[in-house]
Amino acid sequence: MTRKAFLELNRVAKGFGGKQVLTDLSFAVHRGEIVGFIGPNGSGKTTTIRLLNGVIDPDAGEISVGGYDPRLDGEAVRRMSGVLTESAGLYSNLTGRQNLRFFADLYGVDDLSRCDELLAEFGLAEAADSRVGTYSTGMKKRLGLAKALLHRPDVLFLDEPTNGLDPEGIRMVLGYIRQLNERDGTTVMICSHLLQQLEQVCHRYLFLQGGRVVEQGTLAELEARYFPTLTLEVETDLVLSDGQYCGIPAKQVGTGRIAFTLPSRDDVPHLLRRLTQEAAVYHAVPVRFDLETLYFKIREGAAHEQKNRAGHRP
Amino acid sequence: MNRRTVLAIARKDIQATTANLQVWLPMLIVPLLLGIGVPVAMVLAFRFGAASISPEDAQVMLDWVDRLPVVELGTVWPTLNEMSQKLIYLSANYMLAPFFLIIPLMTASVISADSFAGEKERGTLETLLFAPVDMRSLFVGKVMASFVPAVAVSLVTFFLCGLTVNLAAWPLFHRVIFPQLNWLPLMLLVIPGVSLLAILINVFVSARVATFQAAYQISGVVVLPVLLLVVGQVTGVLVLNGWVAILVGLMVAVIDFMLLGKVMRHLNRNQLFESQVR
Repeated sequence: MTRKAFLELNRVAKGFGGKQVLTDLSFAVHRGEIVGFIGPNGSGKTTTIRLLNGVIDPDAGEISVGGYDPRLDGEAVRRMSGVLTESAGLYSNLTGRQNLRFFADLYGVDDLSRCDELLAEFGLAEAADSRVGTYSTGMKKRLGLAKALLHRPDVLFLDEPTNGLDPEGIRMVLGYIRQLNERDGTTVMICSHLLQQLEQVCHRYLFLQGGRVVEQGTLAELEARYFPTLTLEVETDLVLSDGQYCGIPAKQVGTGRIAFTLPSRDDVPHLLRRLTQEAAVYHAVPVRFDLETLYFKIREGAAHEQKNRAGHRP
Repeated sequence: MNRRTVLAIARKDIQATTANLQVWLPMLIVPLLLGIGVPVAMVLAFRFGAASISPEDAQVMLDWVDRLPVVELGTVWPTLNEMSQKLIYLSANYMLAPFFLIIPLMTASVISADSFAGEKERGTLETLLFAPVDMRSLFVGKVMASFVPAVAVSLVTFFLCGLTVNLAAWPLFHRVIFPQLNWLPLMLLVIPGVSLLAILINVFVSARVATFQAAYQISGVVVLPVLLLVVGQVTGVLVLNGWVAILVGLMVAVIDFMLLGKVMRHLNRNQLFESQVR
């Protein structure tokens, strides 16, 4: 890669009280990317965000954020980063507006109309003068996101940003993240379990397991890696005889629906041409693998690998 | 250190305190009771009930005057003819000092015990430490958030105490009898100094223990009594002498500065984060 990475971790390790959370974490995120950070509970996602912001120090390895080492220049890193923690971490006995004003002071935001602008943008204008303690989970999350965006950060760390949101809230938040990224080029790192939602916004994914990144790539790259064949589902009146059609493995998946397994995309036109000559074809779609299918496939693989490594240990 | 950050943190903490009735109500009731209720009751009791005090008991109190430095009462004492006048003048000027030591210490303890432990319990410490806030500003803001209300409550209570005591005693004296000059060093030197000392210890404890409750227990059971005992004894609160109060006030100020310097040098974000955020 020729571009210089905006976030970079190199062989980072971190443990707490004898328990190793990150063992050998290395990855890079480029400026303007939206990256999904995926992994089971306790895999070290939150710890990674803390390390990147310099609020805890790594036991080993190097970290760089926008050219700064969070260990030495934590203040510089925190000035350009916005964080939404899982609990949103707002003051429940202050109002929404008071919360934003307070954080505007901490982040050195001089334009106080920015608070009102964000309150309106996240649909909190009406609740701005109610105490945050009376907010719903979704409202707290949105206010937390507004807080993270106050100082127009270069990089945004979102820990479970859509947890507890209703469908409208999810759409609003995801839409805003996408818009922010397109308009301002904000780099975004999202930790989430809600894979379907990540698919709507992320350019690339990092899979974390056992304290390291076990897999990464775009959805297309991962798909090609884990599902080398292509499945084409066709609505047709063709009658299958023995689980194949002209040497192509095929399977009846419903009345009048057959799934063909092809070695690659390039074989699709060929198959369709032959098929239309012999039978009626109403509809044909390639079956796409979603992130969730990939997630389990990757976890399976990583678990295998771990078991193998453990087995080889003398 | 960043002035805007310091003020923002102090303001936020004070807002949070005043927003919670259960926190500020006791902080208001105790000063009203100790600083106004008790003194006024005392004055009225002596004003209307001096006759019913047995001569021996009254003499015990008046004998005690002999132990005061001569200068203190020199010019005033001979002008007081009635027993009730003497008792009121003595009690108002020389017996209320302990109350005015308790008031700022209590106020300061309630707020300062909450400072870091409270943030941690409510899950806001993490957000706070993710912000570009230097630790010195954070600490100074936290100290101010306790110091300003503690001193303000003391001074306001003191003013109201003076007002009500003089009103209650007016028919007997027809002039202002309280406070005398001996109160100045106590109010302006000892009380701010001792409050700051209690706050520094409490904030430090609060940054290290797990919960507000633990911090409050430690401050209530260990810090407060020790401070009250030591400072109370040394200033000789019963024989409130101006010069002793000045001396104690200066000593406390020196301890404050040393402690503040030490704490400021040892503040560490990562240590605070790792020990306090789950």
